[in-house]
Amino acid sequence: MNPLLAQFLAEAADLLSQVDEGLLELERDPSDPELVNEVFRAAHTFKGSSGLFDFPELTRLTHAAEDLLDAVRSGKLSLDSGMTDDLLAAFDLIRGWLAHVTTHERLPATAGPAGQSLIVKLRGPLGGEQATVNPDVAAALAGPVIDRAPDWLALFDPEWLEKTATWLSSTSATMRFVRFTPDQGCFFRAEDPLHLVSQVPALAKLDLIQPFEWPPAEEYDEYACLIGFALATRAARGELDYLFRYVPDQIEIVELNGDAIHRYVAGEEPPQPRADEAVVAAVAQSHTENLELARDAHAILAAAQRSLALEGSVSGVRLSAVARSVAAAAAALGVPVDTADPDVETLKAQVANLLTEVRPTPADAPPTPPPPPPAERAPVDRGRADDPGGQVGTRILKVDQEKVDHLMELVGELNVAKNGLTFLADAAEEEFGSRVLSRRIKDQYSGLHRIAEELQAAVMDVRMLPLSVAFSRFPRLIRDLSRRLGKTVELVTEGEDTMADKDVIEALGDPLVHLVRNSLDHGIETSADREVAGKPPAARITLTAVADGDAVIVEIADDGRGIDPAKVKHKAYEKGLISEEELETLTDSDAVDLVFRPGFSTADQVSDLSGRGVGMDAVRASVEKLGGAVTMRSQLGRGTSTRLRLPLSMAVTQVMVVSVAGQRFGIPVDLVVETVRVPSAELGRVLHQDVVVLRGEVVPVIDLARALDMPWTPDPAADRAILIVSMHGQRVGLLVEQFHREVDVILKPMEGLLAYADEFSGTALLGDGLVLLVLNMKEVLSLAARAQ
Amino acid sequence: MTDKRPKVLVVDDAATVRLYHRTLLDNAGFEVAEAANGLEAVEAALSTAFDLFVIDVNMPKMDGYACVETLRSETVGTPAPVLMISTEDRPGDADRAYAAGANLYLVKPVDAERLARVARMLTAGIAA
Amino acid sequence: MPLELSETTATLSDVVTVDEVEPLVAWLRITSKPKVNLRRCNHLHTGALQALLLFQPRITSSPTDAFLATQVLPLLRGSSGGPVLPESEPP
Repeated sequence: MNPLLAQFLAEAADLLSQVDEGLLELERDPSDPELVNEVFRAAHTFKGSSGLFDFPELTRLTHAAEDLLDAVRSGKLSLDSGMTDDLLAAFDLIRGWLAHVTTHERLPATAGPAGQSLIVKLRGPLGGEQATVNPDVAAALAGPVIDRAPDWLALFDPEWLEKTATWLSSTSATMRFVRFTPDQGCFFRAEDPLHLVSQVPALAKLDLIQPFEWPPAEEYDEYACLIGFALATRAARGELDYLFRYVPDQIEIVELNGDAIHRYVAGEEPPQPRADEAVVAAVAQSHTENLELARDAHAILAAAQRSLALEGSVSGVRLSAVARSVAAAAAALGVPVDTADPDVETLKAQVANLLTEVRPTPADAPPTPPPPPPAERAPVDRGRADDPGGQVGTRILKVDQEKVDHLMELVGELNVAKNGLTFLADAAEEEFGSRVLSRRIKDQYSGLHRIAEELQAAVMDVRMLPLSVAFSRFPRLIRDLSRRLGKTVELVTEGEDTMADKDVIEALGDPLVHLVRNSLDHGIETSADREVAGKPPAARITLTAVADGDAVIVEIADDGRGIDPAKVKHKAYEKGLISEEELETLTDSDAVDLVFRPGFSTADQVSDLSGRGVGMDAVRASVEKLGGAVTMRSQLGRGTSTRLRLPLSMAVTQVMVVSVAGQRFGIPVDLVVETVRVPSAELGRVLHQDVVVLRGEVVPVIDLARALDMPWTPDPAADRAILIVSMHGQRVGLLVEQFHREVDVILKPMEGLLAYADEFSGTALLGDGLVLLVLNMKEVLSLAARAQ
Repeated sequence: MTDKRPKVLVVDDAATVRLYHRTLLDNAGFEVAEAANGLEAVEAALSTAFDLFVIDVNMPKMDGYACVETLRSETVGTPAPVLMISTEDRPGDADRAYAAGANLYLVKPVDAERLARVARMLTAGIAA
Repeated sequence: MPLELSETTATLSDVVTVDEVEPLVAWLRITSKPKVNLRRCNHLHTGALQALLLFQPRITSSPTDAFLATQVLPLLRGSSGGPVLPESEPP
């Protein structure tokens, strides 16, 4: 993909989310002019950038949206939810198109019709005013406006012009005359001007615009377009505009009737001094072969003329700026003039001369006193001319995620390589008996270690994103869903500036959506029900993020009907999830926790929103897979809040290394409560389950080797090493062979054959080059349960 | 010809448009700096003497017209040529640009060759 | 084949695209008295038209395509290779 398109897609993503966000806020507070302006601006920027690419449908659609927003901005229209819907739909459509562009580098084939129907909708609210506002329509009502004959009419055969004028006069008809001057590079853009011309409907006459001087055959560049066309047609203005819609800047269309042509042919009316032809003459004088250059020079001169005519007080810096541009244009035309130390009148005369004189010769140039060189600059400029240019404002670099991921991988490898040095230091001492070398290696190591740590922190920092990225989709989601459900819901977000690793943010997406949908679907009552319950009719969903040490806590709270613990217990009992005894003894908060049990669904009626029973258990599983935890609190009639606790960063995981049957495994440190060593005699057995009593609490002990199906018989005389972990508030002991240290590792997902081994959550490389398998404790425990 | 590349400041709030203008002005032999709005442009112009400005009209914070006016005012006081480039082609827009002190008003998207040509033309006059 | 080149005659047929422009120009450069047959040509790329204008080969048979025959062929026949704009004609 070319970098410009890549830049556009990146910018478009930002603009789209700005527009979405702004529109939703705007719907709530349509009177905020700053908000309207923001959305308008985003749409406008979008349109401007899209025009750089061959995406006419995209430009047209954004243009229609921009026009509607402009009308809102200027107070001509007030935004209603119908318009908001159309605008959102338009930007949704665009989002889809851009996804297509991302993979195919062009718009989908359906873009035209799909865009058109939305354009019609967007233009709808403006339609009432269009007759008075749109000059085209006004013109159509008043009959066509007859232009003045341009002097390029001379391209046509005078006899033919006479005949045509007579015919037009006798029929009171008009004709459109088009001048089409393609630019030199148009062949490279796969344009074929003659092909466009051949499609002009009702073509009456075609003529050529040839270069003043053809280049010699040996210098001829067959890929530079040197010719243009002049044509006359009875086709309507609109048809022509449409046909030439991609090349509007290369097209000039005039509407002429018989009289206008007669006057031109008879020479009664001096033709409008048209830029380009006057310039063509200048080109001839100066032997400049480049018609384009001359055209641009003319445009600059015309602009200068306009500036000078605008008001009487062009002076100071502005006058010298105009003078400089005139000098530059004149120089380009090969007829240099002196414009330094200018006064307005002299300059006006110079410009007029340059513009209108068909054949200016050096002798014709107005006499001016020899002034200082035109390049004289204001002293302010000169004093600072050597200052470095370049940096303006904050430079933000947009980087592909993959590159950052790759960087992170390299940091991981650097850490591994670095750790290798400690092994080398040991070897230097033990195998080669050199303590000095060993110490020097260790010195090297500590230097490297510091750099590697800083590098890792820096890369981690790059990966940090604000939670607002995860929250951004909810205003829209809640708006759409609450409408469908006929509920009124207000969303409050707090702490969206809290930062977390991008992987965490990404992984948060689905669980959050699930929880918010659940709230909307089950938690929140209809306005009527709420009023009966004495609550405000509009419900509220609050999304909060706070950083908590090396974790981030995200809470989704609603003020809905809450969870009825009795109902939940009963349901769980009906479904066979709890025993009759538990039905009696479970506390309310434990009862609420039942919703996380697999297969539990509280909704009596399954709606299409929150799914079909794959519910909270899936949320808990996915959060736990990230090394996080989910808890839920609910008050009947007051609402429910669900709290997700996630590590700030998933890139680096702290694991405790233990070994079993000679092999090392990692266990996430978050889960580890303590390590204990107990004499083997203290291990008890209750109901076929090994247990250990710790401070009065009976903790079940699982033989990790057995759970993992590894042969190992502990030395009966030795103390037992037991790692106590905590899962869902339950303590479990793991019988292991040996404890090792804690290490920071970069966890990689399981690949290949092991990808299906659920008991491992990933692999990590250790400094000595060994691969460490990190245990997924939840799976290990259920394996152990099955093994018994 | 001077051996130093002329300095141009590209002012546009759309990063894509900035990249587009940067790329083609860089190819045309300019040293390119960027600013994302009129205010940044004015700040930049206060510390660096630019030989050319390419300025968008519709921008947040300070729009193109106000930006050009400030460039031409006592505050900055640069007579360097200003190209204004807008997405709009409404009657009166060009006049506003000229009244503010721009030297040429062009409508987006500007053909690459044309921009390069005009930019070179306007700065060649200065360097001469 | 939209472009068939023999020693003295180029036969253009169907749709002549930008791809044919380069070989056509190369042939026109080296051929001393080139002739061009446009009978079965349905469209001429602007670049091809421009080449015919520059090198002025003899058009041996008119195209059957209406647009080419009525609008484009007169341009080729009428062109004398010199500038068309009246103001810029040498005195």
